[in-house]
Amino acid sequence: MEIVLAEAGRNRWRIEPRPPMRVPGVVFATGALLPQAAGDKALEQVANVAALPGIVRASYAMPDVHWGYGFPIGGVAATDVERGGVVSPGGVGFDISCGVRLLAAGVTREEVGPERIARLMDLLDRMVPRGLGRGGLWELDGPAELDDLLLGGARYAVEHGHGVPRDLERCEDGGVLAGAAPAEVSTRAVERGLQQVGSLGSANHFLEVQAVDRVHDASTAAAFGLRPGQVCVMIHCGSRGLGHQICTDHVRAMDRELHRHRIELPDRQLACTPVDSARGRAYLGAMTAAANYGRANRQLLSEAARRAFAAALGVGLELVYDVSHNLAKLETHEVDGVARTLCVHRKGATRALPPGDPELPADLRAAGQPVLVPGTMGTASYVMVGLPGNEAFRSACHGAGRVWSRHQALRTVRGEQLKHDLEAHGVAVRPASLRALAEEAPEAYKDVDAVAAVTEAAGLARQVARLVPLGVVKG
Amino acid sequence: MDGPGPTGRSGHRSVPHTADLRVEAWAPTPEGCIGELVRAVVGSFADLEGARIVGERGCTVFGASDADLLAGVLEEVVYRMDATGELPAALALGPIRGLDGARSIEVRFRMADAATAALVGAVPKAVSLHDLDLSGGPDGWTCRATVDV
Repeated sequence: MEIVLAEAGRNRWRIEPRPPMRVPGVVFATGALLPQAAGDKALEQVANVAALPGIVRASYAMPDVHWGYGFPIGGVAATDVERGGVVSPGGVGFDISCGVRLLAAGVTREEVGPERIARLMDLLDRMVPRGLGRGGLWELDGPAELDDLLLGGARYAVEHGHGVPRDLERCEDGGVLAGAAPAEVSTRAVERGLQQVGSLGSANHFLEVQAVDRVHDASTAAAFGLRPGQVCVMIHCGSRGLGHQICTDHVRAMDRELHRHRIELPDRQLACTPVDSARGRAYLGAMTAAANYGRANRQLLSEAARRAFAAALGVGLELVYDVSHNLAKLETHEVDGVARTLCVHRKGATRALPPGDPELPADLRAAGQPVLVPGTMGTASYVMVGLPGNEAFRSACHGAGRVWSRHQALRTVRGEQLKHDLEAHGVAVRPASLRALAEEAPEAYKDVDAVAAVTEAAGLARQVARLVPLGVVKG
Repeated sequence: MDGPGPTGRSGHRSVPHTADLRVEAWAPTPEGCIGELVRAVVGSFADLEGARIVGERGCTVFGASDADLLAGVLEEVVYRMDATGELPAALALGPIRGLDGARSIEVRFRMADAATAALVGAVPKAVSLHDLDLSGGPDGWTCRATVDV
């Protein structure tokens, strides 16, 4: 499909709906942030998503949008459940409930100094399972206990001593989504998930020690528990092999059954089924189970970070917030003046609730939801906050967004040199592999400062604080 | 790793994709193509040169099409890596059997202990159906897959 992109306002581009599109495509970006690489199919994917049965309003792309498979990464699409709207596992992504968690330490970078940070990074290097091979921080008894974890999420982990009750108040959905159906999780998914609770994985997943570099909004930052110079920990990971296997299983099943629902798709990875169908309910039950696994996983990694901080720096860590950026949720939104139940897919996009939303914990309600935007290990990350009037179903960006393929990164960057350069700039790097480190070079990503600025200018979320890396544990 | 293109006898190369790992392979037969692609994917993240061999494993993979068999064999590798901690140091594939809609292939893996392999790249976790292909032409067979890492 040839894509004609028209400028439709400041930081806003539109793809007019042409068959089989049912709604327009809307991209929030400056010209510089639009996908540029030759062969990049992100905008075509925005248009493909606009053809999904039951989609309403528009197929949205966040400022960090880039080429995925099926859905673009940085895509948001909502379907009307009562009007044949579909759920697409590809619109959630393989890494179900992949997300970001930020914890804040009771210490500033000036109080700590590089030597103690290096000691902290050495401890984290030893304590955080990642990369190749099995093994997580929590050895479960067997499939029955895994079922309990799939039902209980981060709450199950806290109830078993891996955290404190306040952690749950600072997680989306209190750390556990209702409606998990372990019976819809295949044996293969269980086998993959049993040994990985409390592990980082590889690729773009990381545990990063950061410092608050700049505060844009002091009162909101204070409500989030952040202040200038403060040392923080950002954790980016998801539901590991279990989530990937669930997505694989359900995409395959829906791919085989498309003809039953007379659904024609331009890309097999967009395989979908009506939300209100046995297959749709089965997927949502399994997806919810994986989402709970992802939240428990981040809870376990937080516990490891706390142990390392206590040992190396003698300080504790308070959870700022935990968000998912790969998820589908049934939410109520107004469409053409009528409240509708929508299945909102966020594939590489973060929910961004505005101030006053009743779903927010009491101590954050006046401020709004923290939106966590990891950048790169050589630049910065952002804490943003949800805004009222967000047209993209209350969604914002989820990161910087890749511009280079891993292939190009490996051709351009040497891992040894990158490690040396980062260390020279005061970032202590603890990679599982130097080649894998090169794939994640900062140059492989968009300018996160520009992404955050455009996210704010487009009315999706507002900047609260900029964080810079002090040390990174990479998978 | 770059290859000469789909005109030689057998080979593989990675091609750019911003999200994940995209690999193409070519061979005189469809089974050879699948084997090349598996070797390419494993080689992209694990160096098995000094890894400890733990034994041989066999399985039958089913799919509706040749392309689905390709995805199925790759998924078998990813599953075994996570569930049993093993990676194929070598593999042998039997002939593709069956008609369109019900294809199968037998695979034998010579497995290494993944814990003794050296990590050299992002670890694959799933196989996408996006632009998945295995097809024949006058110069032999070509295939491509996008692997989530």
